[in-house]
Amino acid sequence: MLKIENKADIFHYRTLLFILSLSMITLLSRYFYLQVIEHDRYFSKSQVNSVKAQATYAPRGLILDRNGVVLVENYPTYILTVTPYELEDKDLQFEIISNITDISIEELSRRYKKYYQGRFLPTVIAKNLTFAEISQIEERRLELNGFQYKRFDERLYSDVLKDAHFLGYLRELDRQSLPFLDKSQLYRAGELIGWQGIEKQYEKELRYSKGMKYIEVDTYGREINSINDNNIPAFPGEDLTLSIDSKLQQFSKNLLLGQKGVILVSNVNNGDILSMVSNPSYNLDIYRGETTDSDWNALLSDKNKPIINRNIAGLYPPGSSFKIITALNLIEDGLLDPEDSLMCTGSYIPPGSSNTFNCWKEDGHGLVDLNKAIAQSCNVYFYETVQLIKLAEWTKTAKIFGFQNKTEIDLPNELIGQIPDKEFFIETYGRWGWSERGVLLNLTLGQGDILVTPLQSLRYINHIASKGKTAKLRLNAKKEIEYYDDILLSEQTWDRVIKGLYDVVNADGGSGWRAKQFEVKLYGKTSTAENPHGEPHAWFNGFFDFKNQTYSIVVLVENGGGGGAVASPIAGEIVKFFTDTNVDIVNK
Amino acid sequence: MSFFNNYIYGSNEYLGRLYIIVSSLITFGLITLYSISSDPLSINSSFMRQIIFIIFSLIIFFIISQIDIKTIHDNSTLIYIFSFLLCFIPFFLPAVENTYRWIDLGFFYIQPGEYLKCATIILIAKYLSNHQLEVKESYIVIIPILIALLSSFLVLNQPDLGTAVIIFAPVLPMMLWAGVNGFTLFLLVAPLITIIAASNNMIFNIWGVLMFIIFLSFQGNFLKKIMIYFANIFAGLLFPFFWNDFLNGYQRQRFVDFLNPDLDPMGSSYHIIQSITAIGSGGLFGKGWGEGSQTQLKFLPVQESDFILSVIAEEFGFFGITLIMLLFFMLIKTLLDIAFRLSDYFSSLVIVGLTSILFSHIFINSAMTIGLMPVKGLPTPFVSAGGSFMLLCFIILSLVSNLSKN
Repeated sequence: MLKIENKADIFHYRTLLFILSLSMITLLSRYFYLQVIEHDRYFSKSQVNSVKAQATYAPRGLILDRNGVVLVENYPTYILTVTPYELEDKDLQFEIISNITDISIEELSRRYKKYYQGRFLPTVIAKNLTFAEISQIEERRLELNGFQYKRFDERLYSDVLKDAHFLGYLRELDRQSLPFLDKSQLYRAGELIGWQGIEKQYEKELRYSKGMKYIEVDTYGREINSINDNNIPAFPGEDLTLSIDSKLQQFSKNLLLGQKGVILVSNVNNGDILSMVSNPSYNLDIYRGETTDSDWNALLSDKNKPIINRNIAGLYPPGSSFKIITALNLIEDGLLDPEDSLMCTGSYIPPGSSNTFNCWKEDGHGLVDLNKAIAQSCNVYFYETVQLIKLAEWTKTAKIFGFQNKTEIDLPNELIGQIPDKEFFIETYGRWGWSERGVLLNLTLGQGDILVTPLQSLRYINHIASKGKTAKLRLNAKKEIEYYDDILLSEQTWDRVIKGLYDVVNADGGSGWRAKQFEVKLYGKTSTAENPHGEPHAWFNGFFDFKNQTYSIVVLVENGGGGGAVASPIAGEIVKFFTDTNVDIVNK
Repeated sequence: MSFFNNYIYGSNEYLGRLYIIVSSLITFGLITLYSISSDPLSINSSFMRQIIFIIFSLIIFFIISQIDIKTIHDNSTLIYIFSFLLCFIPFFLPAVENTYRWIDLGFFYIQPGEYLKCATIILIAKYLSNHQLEVKESYIVIIPILIALLSSFLVLNQPDLGTAVIIFAPVLPMMLWAGVNGFTLFLLVAPLITIIAASNNMIFNIWGVLMFIIFLSFQGNFLKKIMIYFANIFAGLLFPFFWNDFLNGYQRQRFVDFLNPDLDPMGSSYHIIQSITAIGSGGLFGKGWGEGSQTQLKFLPVQESDFILSVIAEEFGFFGITLIMLLFFMLIKTLLDIAFRLSDYFSSLVIVGLTSILFSHIFINSAMTIGLMPVKGLPTPFVSAGGSFMLLCFIILSLVSNLSKN
């Protein structure tokens, strides 16, 4: 065996056994003292009353817009709870409650089962009690032993912004989700927690800090007396000021009336989102009180998907705005002289191919240089010049501008879209099912397998507007300004592209002329993105300077048609809002 | 003869008895957890989670049972270093409830400090079982104390006073078992008792006389003994001054807070009051299973782990508590029997160490529920809910079954 024999001594064994016995006897005699000798005292103490710690609550923080307009506030309601072991005649008592509240007995029983937490714990069976109902319950107090009503704050959305997805909503916590939450916040089943949008993102700031109150209760858990020693007060949550301008948000919302799509407006200098509209939408009040299952299912199964915030979770082909990616590549790498012109005859046949690729303008643009190609969105120019670029280079540039990456805006559940690369094509079409030249013809027009979110598109235009150094997009106006990684391109490259974007709106024949405003310089790019779901999506991405600040706009009308015809006028209206109201939106 | 040998050296009957005791304790714990879970059959209830932990721990039990004792003996330093490094991981993770004790494994939390307890014991046992060691010399106490100090210093920084104390618990019994001079051991404990006794004049006087008698009754250099005796008395006399005058109030508070981050977070003795009321109201036979009003109305805090004995006392009365204390007594006694009858010295020492850990958990936890000790979050072996500690108990069990194979 191992090295050495056991040297344990019987004396040592007995010593340890002695200590063990002594400790056990000490413990047991104390138990005996408490449980047998002092039993009466403690039994009556536990019977008559007891000190119980009870959580206390404070209101959740408000959500305000940048001008202090209240967007989300709290609204007191009354809920009815029932404590199972106090019930005397459940069926009869449920019938009384049913008569008072007009909720069927079956529904009451269903909720009673669903929310049951234990024989001694109150179960919520009705919400949003009116004052009349409460008085009736109070009148029949004696018959309704075990029923209690108590105050319960719900969220109230202001009429100004009842349908803004980004606000998000609260949800009642169930026991299944409890283990996954931050323990230090002391969540309990039945409490409300931010479940989407800003409410989720800033849950920690908005949520109150729970307090503790010591109350004396009798053997049934009823409060007799409150003890004021050692109480810990509850503190309200912090108010949150958003970068949103609710007037602009409403104004832009009206511009999209009856259409599906998105409008985003931001301040390029600090990343503030001023307006974030996603249409169609739905009334956030659905999260308050009781909503029937059929209403819910109708909302969830609506094929227009009103429940989705298209800004961060809608994926679209970007269309011609991606021609800028090609243009940046061409100039920065010195692949061509921007002054050189090509001939657009209205169609293009790639070398060694028999397929014809058409320009949107059937009879051609004639002689086109880079500037005109951007301004008039000439396909043929980009078909021909993209052949000078490698696929890997092109996708790299797209990714530098933040595509296939989160914009890191302070909202949960942002999608990243897709910029297809070599691996993607091999996986999708097989090793020989595609060619680099062929897919580039598609990619340069922002078509094919590219998918972006409107918010990514906003980040893209902000990068261009600020010549590569732009602030991270944010909804919380008090959040510290951070910057995306700088995009290092030569000054001349930026200037070329920005000049092109200017001509889109302002030069003769520019595709975005309908957006033109005389008081401010608007830069932009229209896109008409073909897609399998019907009419093309109309895009306008642009920016303008106003009162020493640079603002950017992204307009997307789903299946709206041409970007020039449909999206540009909307962008123009937004610029007009700035000049008409002539307010410093920013500096507040 | 073979049966006789088996009985004396193999301890197989003792192992069988051990398994019966442990199963009874676990069953007792599960019955209690079932009573306090509001929805015991849901997967998130402490009852169901406990069952999952037990199954998981059983798997680990069978894996460790396969390891050879010699491997454990020869790699004891490596095991120690590994457990020591494991305790550093939480410092790089986000704090859980303001402490760096836990590693989040997704389905449950692991407390590496628990496993450092075992590793410390194995390392000390290896040192003490070295046949070249002169156990009669007093200086051999130094190395075990240094090892224990190193481990407890690390967990003290997490901060976790409970585990730090528990790491020290096995040191004395193991040295006693190894045959270290009784007077040396007494000298180790004496200063601690002196400091505690210094809080009360009468106790301090009694202790002074008692200590004097003990000093006289041991053999040795008289002058040396007198010097150590007065050093003790002076330490005791100076301590209250040091505590009261040298440290200002806020320093003291910070010291206490540092050692005890979870002591009385509600700012009152709420825990103890509720626990004692629950225990006292249980009476001789208890209020019945699931009928404890203190427990069921959630007066009792952390009732599924730290205060589970209070639940048992309320619902099953003094009768139930006696039963469970008897089981604990049998558990410890059986383990000591095994350690005493083993032929291998190293194994015997390890088992004594592990037994001390289980015992100190039982003692501190029970003493806390009845107000004999300050509130300290230490669970009870095999009864309290909690994955990490249940796993430790099963690791101890598997080590015992492993070590007693020869």
